[in-house]
Amino acid sequence: MRSRLLFALLVLTAATRVAAASTTLTGTVRDNKGAFVSDAVVSLIPLDQPAPPPAEPPGEIAQQTQEFLPYVTVVQAGTKVVFPNRDTVQHHVYSLSKAKKFELPLYNPGQKESLVFESTGLVTLGCNIHDWMIAYLLVVPTPYFAKTDEQGRATVTAPAGRYRVEVWHPRVSAALTQEIALTAGEASARDFGLTLKPDRRIRRGGATKTGGYR
Amino acid sequence: MASPLLRFRRFSTRLLVIVLSLLAAALLSTYLLVTRANQTNAIAHIESRLAGDVKVFWASIDFRKRFFVEGAKVVSRDWPIRTLYLQPQLDLKTLRTTMESYAARLNAPVFATFDVDGAMLATTNDSLTNDSCGPFRHLIQKADENGWEQNSDFGYLAEKLHVLIVVPLYAPEPNIIGWFGIAFPIDDRFARDLKETTQTEVTFTSGLTEDTKRVLATTLSPGLAQQVADQAPAELKPDGQVMVTNMGSDRYVTLYAPLELLAEDPARITLQRSLETELAPARRLEQTMLFILLAALITASLIALAVARGVSQPLQQLAGHTELVAAGDYTRRIALPREDEIGQLATAFNHMTAGLAERDRVRDLLGKVVSPEIATQLLQSDLKLGGEEREVTILFSDLRDFTGMSERLAPTEVLTLLNRYLDRMSTIIEKHGGVIDKYIGDAIMALFGAPVALPDAAARALAAARDMADSLQDMNRELEAEGKPALAFGIGINTARVVAGNMGSQTRLNYTVIGDGVNLASRLETMTKDPAHRTNIIISEATARAVGEEGKLRSLGAVTVKGKTEAVKVFAVDIQPRPWPTRPQARPPTNPPYGA
Repeated sequence: MRSRLLFALLVLTAATRVAAASTTLTGTVRDNKGAFVSDAVVSLIPLDQPAPPPAEPPGEIAQQTQEFLPYVTVVQAGTKVVFPNRDTVQHHVYSLSKAKKFELPLYNPGQKESLVFESTGLVTLGCNIHDWMIAYLLVVPTPYFAKTDEQGRATVTAPAGRYRVEVWHPRVSAALTQEIALTAGEASARDFGLTLKPDRRIRRGGATKTGGYR
Repeated sequence: MASPLLRFRRFSTRLLVIVLSLLAAALLSTYLLVTRANQTNAIAHIESRLAGDVKVFWASIDFRKRFFVEGAKVVSRDWPIRTLYLQPQLDLKTLRTTMESYAARLNAPVFATFDVDGAMLATTNDSLTNDSCGPFRHLIQKADENGWEQNSDFGYLAEKLHVLIVVPLYAPEPNIIGWFGIAFPIDDRFARDLKETTQTEVTFTSGLTEDTKRVLATTLSPGLAQQVADQAPAELKPDGQVMVTNMGSDRYVTLYAPLELLAEDPARITLQRSLETELAPARRLEQTMLFILLAALITASLIALAVARGVSQPLQQLAGHTELVAAGDYTRRIALPREDEIGQLATAFNHMTAGLAERDRVRDLLGKVVSPEIATQLLQSDLKLGGEEREVTILFSDLRDFTGMSERLAPTEVLTLLNRYLDRMSTIIEKHGGVIDKYIGDAIMALFGAPVALPDAAARALAAARDMADSLQDMNRELEAEGKPALAFGIGINTARVVAGNMGSQTRLNYTVIGDGVNLASRLETMTKDPAHRTNIIISEATARAVGEEGKLRSLGAVTVKGKTEAVKVFAVDIQPRPWPTRPQARPPTNPPYGA
């Protein structure tokens, strides 16, 4: 929670520093059934000028109660991400994604590891010990992004200009992209509809009690 | 009564044939019905068992699939494979050896790895190429589209039927970085395995057209298996089709069930159970039944024979007795102590025999009382009064001075002597075809030509008279030897038309002849008493003419019969004295034997 607040502050300061005439885009993401979608990432990739370099504060994906926290993380390419073990057991974080293949071999509670993610793309994180642990790290080429809340809302602040909006969620097969022009001093609002695949995350608790028999 | 087929000489044969054919028909139809019911039941039973066997097959496939799916899931989360995938460039050689490890762990016949798009990366089977992995790719595509955690189906790998399974390689779940493909063959060993569980012959065949029908796996010999493939029906319902097939020397109840294949014509699983094996207990029962039926048949035959014999033996006995009765033996009686109809028949037969004996006795008596010819005439005609006119030669004989002699002898002696004389004379008369009409004391009245007409009646009468005279000479010699007085007689013969028939009252009849001719015969006999005629036998002109000896005989002139005006010529018949017989060397007669 604290990290998310910190992150939002960072984004805000970055935005104010780059362009004084910044504006906001509030995207509302719904699925094909009309329900609000949380944990969707709305990112604005500038089309007219290069994106500013990443800000200092690193991202964080913690391991706690044998889960990754948060489930979805967005960082600008070149950002360092910290992986602290705040759990009572060891973890072995890995990713086999093209954007970054790595592993952080077994490390103990209280330790923390960190990595810099240079390539854009999706990094799917897992733990070699706990099959059900999964986290998504979306590495984007822009500092203008936000994650939807429980109401499916994400507000991105960016200088006026043309952007490619990318809306992504762990359960879409491909990100939704649109072009958008933001005007100074004029807040924009957009609705995005995503087609979500079923949630196939492993339910914790292991096998059924019957031992496989129906 | 019966058709020619059932006509037998012997009652017992007929009874036996009828009883046996009826019983055999009943037993045989029972036997056939039971046999048929057994077979129908056996087929129905096998059908239901085959339906169960198919379920066993599917359960076995499911079990194996689940085993491989779970195993693949376990190895797909293996650290080493993730480590391999961590490397910037996937080392396919190492990946292959990893597959070999996994295949060994799971005892999987075929193990392969595919990338997310279904391209094959490594496999434990060199025969498997990226091109021949189409079925796997098909399964991967389908699973990916539908988000399935696994997919499996029947398919051909290197032309051999396999069960194919694909399981995603997660890093982590549900993030798919590749696929594992596992396959196990449906081969002879699988078929044998299934047979061990189900005791069913198992054959897998492919194709529907003549040139593609081939045996994929079987527990049968290759020849029989091909026969199964060829006999497979082209169209099959999803739950299959059952038929009875002849294979080799055995009959099988065969279930054909389809196996849907990936993008191919469906294959077939054929499950067969031997009908004969299923029927074996029933066959034993049928055999026992057959023995019982035969025993029943034999017992029935014996009983039928006994019954038939119980009927036919007394009947044969009766037949034999009847023959005896026909031959005139009325003395036999049948002893059949039975209460039934045959017993009644025997009793009736005995009564009949007794009746016949009685009748015969009466007839015998009649023959003694009247002459046999008259008796026959009496028995043949329905006794009634009345007669017919016919030509008859009447012979009258009478003993001379018998009254005087009887006064000198005791009455019994008289009767004995008379009987001896009459018996002798009667025998001669009958020998010549004459009929004793009656005895009148010592006199005999005999007829020739009645009741049975004789063409030479007169000659017979004359011959009889001569023999009687001869016989009397012999008898006199005997009497003389016994010291008894000799006898003399006179005979009169006449031939005339008289009335012959039954005379008397309604209740008592006499066969005789009446008429003037009778009187004349009597009169001629009386004439012999006249010594002037010097003869014992006098015949009338009519008789002499009939004999044709008119000229040879000594004429005695004519006599007038009482009450008649016309005189009748009469002739004397002279008899030569007979020489003494040589055997009984008796004394020469003291008295002249002839005449008095």
